[in-house]
Amino acid sequence: MVTVTILWSAEAIETALAAQGIALASGRAERIARAQQALLEAAAADPLRATLTFDANPAGYPAALESCR
Amino acid sequence: MSDPALLSLAQAREVAPRELVQACRARIERWQPRINAFLEVVENPRPGVPLAHKDMFYRAGRVASCGSRIRRDWVANETSAALERLDAAGFGDLGRLNMSEFAYGPTGHNEHFGDCRNPWNPEYITGGSSSGSGAAVAARLVFGALGSDTGGSVRLPAAACGVTGLKTTWGRVSLRGAMPLSHSLDTIGPLARSAEDCAILLQTIAGDGDSREKKEIRIAMSTEWIERYADPQVAAAVLAAAKALDRNALEVEPPDFETLSAHCLVVMQAEASAQHAQWMRERPADYSSAVRARLEAGYAIPAAAYLETLRLRAAWLERFCAQTLGAADLYLLPTIPVPLPTREQTGPKGGADMPRLLSDLTRLTRWVNYLGVPALALPCGFDARGLPMSLQLVGRPFSEALLLAAGRQYQRATDWHQRLPA
Repeated sequence: MVTVTILWSAEAIETALAAQGIALASGRAERIARAQQALLEAAAADPLRATLTFDANPAGYPAALESCR
Repeated sequence: MSDPALLSLAQAREVAPRELVQACRARIERWQPRINAFLEVVENPRPGVPLAHKDMFYRAGRVASCGSRIRRDWVANETSAALERLDAAGFGDLGRLNMSEFAYGPTGHNEHFGDCRNPWNPEYITGGSSSGSGAAVAARLVFGALGSDTGGSVRLPAAACGVTGLKTTWGRVSLRGAMPLSHSLDTIGPLARSAEDCAILLQTIAGDGDSREKKEIRIAMSTEWIERYADPQVAAAVLAAAKALDRNALEVEPPDFETLSAHCLVVMQAEASAQHAQWMRERPADYSSAVRARLEAGYAIPAAAYLETLRLRAAWLERFCAQTLGAADLYLLPTIPVPLPTREQTGPKGGADMPRLLSDLTRLTRWVNYLGVPALALPCGFDARGLPMSLQLVGRPFSEALLLAAGRQYQRATDWHQRLPA
């Protein structure tokens, strides 16, 4: 299973945020890259990811809330 | 009892509102300089049992600062659904309560309006983001307060300030007219002096809050995890509380807190940053550095990762209900597993240890928001420094009544919720 979805670097963060019109405070890009890399790796390591069916979509969540009452 | 401000909410309903307002105002005068819980105390409050709310619930014609510089003077043009319901039920509204800027911080710091401070010891955090709600209820300045909970923002201040706080099921209480942070995670809930008082407020804002005993409540818990990872004083208090609730609690594998917390953060960051995109482009300097930094991070969440995290949500909810709860009704764990940090340790001048302290603080709250299930934070003791400790009960979707019944049962057997800060 692929567990890393993206490899963030400070340069990539600066470019990605600039493309969205967000000016970064100085020295922030590197910290964001480190933090977000770790966060996305933790999310990507989800053991249920491999079992997710093709048809699962976010709109199914309210129905799950009801059925789990 | 000589001071009517110390009554329960149910008892207060039998007292003349004018007398209650007078008593609460006297306490506000005494406590406000010490804890900074209020952003505004209104001159002529609407009559009724005095409440006050986190300054993110809109009231037409009134400022709703959302704890921010950006909205410091912003006047709402609608009244939130929750406030409308409280008004209709005859509750009073004494004013606007302090909160973390845009509800995006777990400690109660606020550089625009001054930090809210813990009534038990002002050097310590109140927890956030519903900081003023927790502090005002703990100091008995009001009989209850609304807060919002996106990653722990009702439960953390309830825990740190020694009051009872209910995080509702996602979708249970209308979000209309409440400031959005992360629409997939945002919930509204009451902070009050007891589970019984929370039930009265929930019933008012959601039409459900019946806390009458329904059956024997079965608890599931993970004693080994608590003993291994929680602070020893917290662990002892929470395990004692578990015994008081269910002597035959079921031992289960803990939920995957780390993965679920990461999922919560992915969703929260992506949605909060999208919500704030225009202001972040046009006036980033008007945010505090801490909130600006959190918002910046959200623009680095890929859309596909965000959506995949939401696609996984139903599967995780089903797993929690089937495997963690199983035959039990509620899952029991600490609300905050570590000793409460000081404001200095977690503020703008906090040291290198600050990210870990903040992460520890929210370690056991965020996963609940990702699942969207309800949870109740209850005071369960005091540590050696005299600061409150809290247990958390987590239920199936829409099981607020059962949670409140369990809370009431626990609070009939203990008096932690009745202790007052000096």
